[in-house]
Order: sequence, then C-alpha cells, then structure tokens
Amino acid sequence: MIFPLVLIGKLIYFISNTFNLGSGGTWPGEVALYFQPKILDYFFSQVKKGIILIAGTNGKTTTARMLRQILTQFDKGHYRVIHNDSGANLLNGLVSAFIQQSSWIGKIDTDWAILEVDENTLSLVISNLKPQTSNKQKVIVVLLNLFRDQLDRYGEIDVIAGKWSKALKKLPKDAKIVLNADDPLIAHLGMTSRPGLKAGVYYFGIDDTKSFLPEMEHATDSIFCLSCGNRLSFEGIYYSHLGIWRCEKCGEKRPEPDISKWSSPLPGLYNQYNTLATVIVAKSLGINDKQIKEALSDFSPAFGRQEEFVVNSKKIKIFLSKNPAGFNESLKTVLSLRARQLLFVLNDYIPDGRDVSWIWDVDFEMIPSNVKVIASGERAFDMGLRIKYSMKQLRVIQNLKEAIYSGLEAIKKGETLYVLPTYSAMLEVRKILKGRKIL
Amino acid sequence: MNYQLIIGWLYPDLMSTYGDRGNIIVLKKRCEKRNIEAQVKNITLETHHRELEKCQLIFMGGAQDRQQKLAGSDFLKNKGPVVKKMVEEDISALFVCAAYQAVGHFYRPYQGADIPGLGIFDLTTIHPGDQAKRLIGNTVGEIINISGMYRKTIVGFENHGGRTVLGSKIKPLAKVLHGFGNNGEDGYEGAIYHKAIGSYFHGPILAKNPHLADWLITSALEVKYKRAIQLEPLDDTLEWQAHEFMLKRLGVSHD
Repeated sequence: MIFPLVLIGKLIYFISNTFNLGSGGTWPGEVALYFQPKILDYFFSQVKKGIILIAGTNGKTTTARMLRQILTQFDKGHYRVIHNDSGANLLNGLVSAFIQQSSWIGKIDTDWAILEVDENTLSLVISNLKPQTSNKQKVIVVLLNLFRDQLDRYGEIDVIAGKWSKALKKLPKDAKIVLNADDPLIAHLGMTSRPGLKAGVYYFGIDDTKSFLPEMEHATDSIFCLSCGNRLSFEGIYYSHLGIWRCEKCGEKRPEPDISKWSSPLPGLYNQYNTLATVIVAKSLGINDKQIKEALSDFSPAFGRQEEFVVNSKKIKIFLSKNPAGFNESLKTVLSLRARQLLFVLNDYIPDGRDVSWIWDVDFEMIPSNVKVIASGERAFDMGLRIKYSMKQLRVIQNLKEAIYSGLEAIKKGETLYVLPTYSAMLEVRKILKGRKIL
Repeated sequence: MNYQLIIGWLYPDLMSTYGDRGNIIVLKKRCEKRNIEAQVKNITLETHHRELEKCQLIFMGGAQDRQQKLAGSDFLKNKGPVVKKMVEEDISALFVCAAYQAVGHFYRPYQGADIPGLGIFDLTTIHPGDQAKRLIGNTVGEIINISGMYRKTIVGFENHGGRTVLGSKIKPLAKVLHGFGNNGEDGYEGAIYHKAIGSYFHGPILAKNPHLADWLITSALEVKYKRAIQLEPLDDTLEWQAHEFMLKRLGVSHD
C-alpha cells in the first residue's frame, strides 16, 4: 500500500514547511521507507523517459541543476523533471523528493528524475533500478570525482570506488555511464577491459595545457596506478589528482574524452568539469549544441555556491567549501577574483564531518600576504590555528554574526567579502544574511 | 651558532590522509620561530634509505588501505630497518594511526593473513571484525611516562578499526580521559619507546598539543648536539585556546 505512505509523507512535508522545522527534505521519505522499503521502485517505475543519477565528492548539486535547466528549458521546456534539490541525497532524501512532487495518491507525472546521490548510497540506488524495458526507460549514471571527504563518515575513497565498481556491473546494456577521464580512480571504473561491465561508457575531461598547475597540490589521493600500483606519471594536473595521467609500467592511461570543450557559465575549473558532464548527458539525449547553450545562458548556481548578497553597497559572496579539494578550488577562484578579505567558517556538526583535521590538507599558503583572513565558526580556534601556521593576517572571531560584520567593515563600498564555509556554516551564514540580523 | 634539524617525512604522498601534513608544518614553523634551521626531507618509495639516515626527527602518518599496502612493502624491506636502528639510538620519531600500527609486530585484519610490522614497538594490533564498531571521535588523554611536561593533557581526533595492545617492553603515552585510545578497553592511549611516540590521535596531533611538538624538537636537538637544550617559549595563545575549547566541550577539567 503506497497511497497512505505518500499521504503521511505529504502531511509531514506540509507540517514541516508550515512550521519551518527544516526537516521536510528527509522525514517524509524516512517514514515511507520504514513501512515500504521498496517505495523507490514504485516511483522509479512511473518516470516516463529516464533516471539520471549523479554522484561524486564535489559538484553534484551544480551538475544536477545545470542538467535540470537544460531538460526543462530547451525548446521552451517540454520536459518535466523531478530533482532532489534540497540537497538531501540519502535514500530518505530521494524518496522525499518524489513524495513532495507526487499526487496525493502517489502518482507521478514526470519525464525525468535527476537525482544527486550520496557516495555511499549510490550502490543501493542502482540495485533498486529496474529499468522499464517496455517504454525504453533510460538510465544514466554520472560519476564526477572522488576526493578525501569526511573520512569519519564516508570512509576511504578506494572503498567507495570498489562498491561503485560492483554496482555499475548491474546496469543493463543500454544504460550509460558518464565518467571523469581525468580522475584516475573514476576513469578506472570504465576501463573496457573490466569484466562484467555491460553499460556504455562515455568520458568527459579537460584538454587545456594552459590550465596545468605549476606543481602538484598536497591533497592528492589517486596518484598511484589502480591496475598495477605504480606511481602515475602526469603530463599535467588541473587540480588535486585530476589531470592527464598514464602508468609507465602497465600502460593504463587517461581515456580519450568524448567531450573536452564547452564554455562554462560559472567561474572555476571545477565548474568546467560539471559543465562537461552536463553537456555530454544532454547531447546523448539528442539535445543539440545551440539548445544547450541557450538553456544554460542564464544559469545561476544553487544556494551557497557562489551565491551573492548585497549589504550596504558591499557584496558578500559565499563559496561552499567542505573538503580539501573543494576548498583549494574555492580559494583559487576567490583569489583570481582579487579578494582582499576572506572569512572562513568551520563547523564540525554531522553534515560537516566531526573531524576537522582536513583543514591541514588545504593549501592556505597560497593566500598572498596582503589578503586579510577572519576565522569563525564552532571550530574557529582550529581554523585560526591553521591560518596562523600559514602566516597570514588573521583575526579569530567565534561569533559568526560578529565575524560577518567585522569582515564587512574591513572592506570598502563596491568590494566583496568572500565567505568560505562548511555545509552547516553555509546555512548559518545565509540565515544571518537573509534575516538581515546584523544590520 | 644556529641549531639545525633535518625532519624526515616518510611517505608524504602515501601515508598522509587525515591532515597529517599539519605535524610537519607545525614542527617546521616552531623551529623557524626559534631560529632553528629546519629542513624537511620527503622520504618516498623512490628515496634511498641513506637519505633517511641523515634525518634527526622522523614522522610517518596515516593512510588508506591501498596506499598503506604500497608503502608497507617498501617500509618492511627498505626504510623500516633503518628507522628501527634510529629509534634504538634515541632519534625522535612520531608515528600516527596507520604508521603506529606498522611499527608494531603485526596487524591482524578481520580477514586474510597477518600483515607483518617492523617490531620497533612491542605491540600488536587486531581488527576485531567487519561488524565491530570503529573507534571514532574527539578524544583527550593525560600524558604519562614523559617527565617535565608543562601541561599534561593532549587532545585529538581518533578514527580506527584496529585495537592495539602494548607488550611489556613499551609504555603507554597517555591515560584516556575521553574517547577510546589504543583499544577502548584498557584506558591507555599511544605508546612511548626511547624518544619515539606512537598515537591514534590522527592527523595534526601536534597543532593543538604544542608541548608534545616541543618535546620532539628538544629530544631531537639534545641527541644531535649531545647536551641539555631549553627551547625558547613561543606565543601559543591560540594553540591553547583550541586545546581548551576541546577540553571544555568534552567536559574534561584538568591541569
């Protein structure tokens, strides 16, 4: 019986929304799953065209949003899309997104489901997929990257990749797997030599020697050959361990990308990857270059991702930064935008990861000495300590409201305060700015 | 005369997972602030072990399983025996997390054969099984077996599946005040042998525990220059604020 579960779920959603409890993203699904563990099957079977799963450490949300924009807007938007855009990407979050957008009796009228999926949930979701061969339902799995991230929660990236590898073999022949050619761990998942892989494999990657880093960053993970264990040789690295790689010993090398060029609507090399992944999926669905360009021309990122606020003619820009690879990329991007004042906000709640050790893997040393830094958040002292050891102009201000206020005071009108927060810190920053409580 | 110190960092691109680099940054900066010339030597798979012999302070950090296997065979065959000799000769060393396990006699995974260690430290580590709880969380210890410490507590974060038990020839580094420590049962954390320390406080253990960092530097200099050395005090206000913050949060009143 699905109907009462959907009804209960919708009621929870309604109550949570009305009273602003902020739990509408997961609770309806949690309750429904408790009574009917296979409820996702039921929803999947109603999706008319297909299901697109997006996983990876960084870029899920931006990629999913770009793809949604294309599917809903090209040719004046004739596709209907369900997307778990609250960011809740565990099983309960996926089910909640369906409940929210279904009718009271659990019927869904959608062409596509675009789902951002948590690293450790992907295998489970893939085993839930039973593509409806009767109506040629498509299945596309996009794997963006794997970086070290909240090791106390996610575990080691090699273990995650191992689980993905097993799950991908369950996909049928007409499914598509879209992989990042520049991430050795991700690319390895699609090597044609792998036995048991039935689905078609497509690669995206960047071909731009001008974007190579002058030297390797510290926070690199997959720099040893997945096949033979030898140290990989890189013709060049774009960031972390993403680059043009090969193994001199066994010959495994970065696959030739099916797409490597497309102008990204957002700054940052990481968004270049998100864009390439998006475009290759859109093209595979028969959407042409012109349609894609038009649909993405007014793309704006999700909340907390390069989101901008204006307070008293001063700008505040938020760059969600939750792991070493992401933080390094955010830092590079804000420095290229000539940041003068930075605010780092470090929390250690469940969505951030309880272990803050990772900040020592971020290359804060790249910050020029004339750029000022404020450290804040629940673990303000830990962040401050990391900055202290990179010898920067530093203030530690525990209270977040005060920290934002001080940051704004330190810049001139027309300048921008760049805020780099962890996930829960990002929500707090937005709440303060939206409530305008500091003014 | 300026003191000089060569810090050997074992496997920086393999055994470095949880912000382990923090320890190297902290050691180097704390030397530099006192005009001690500190040079960091990266000891990778490809480095000849003679380079390792030139070091006066050794650090080795944590790793993911695959990386640990890659480093493990080189460590066992090439670098480990050198490290063993150096530790016996009172060279300062810090082994964190996976490295702490690797300097013991063996690591017994929940499936498969024992992984031999160097036996530098008289300890063994056993993973109790797939379903056993990982020991994860913020943790506090009280240093025992090092005399003359101006503060007793150490704070950190642990995340390990293996349970380590010390033998009779080695002493624990600390008493657990909060968290699990070596095995979650006997109430002890880490180990100390000659001037070498092992600990499950992973990643940047030295950042919030500057007394431990200074003990390693002092010990290394004393062995090198063969005399008692008193390090110049530094402004560690922020270090102790971060330290105290964790004591307070975990409700540990001490010192």
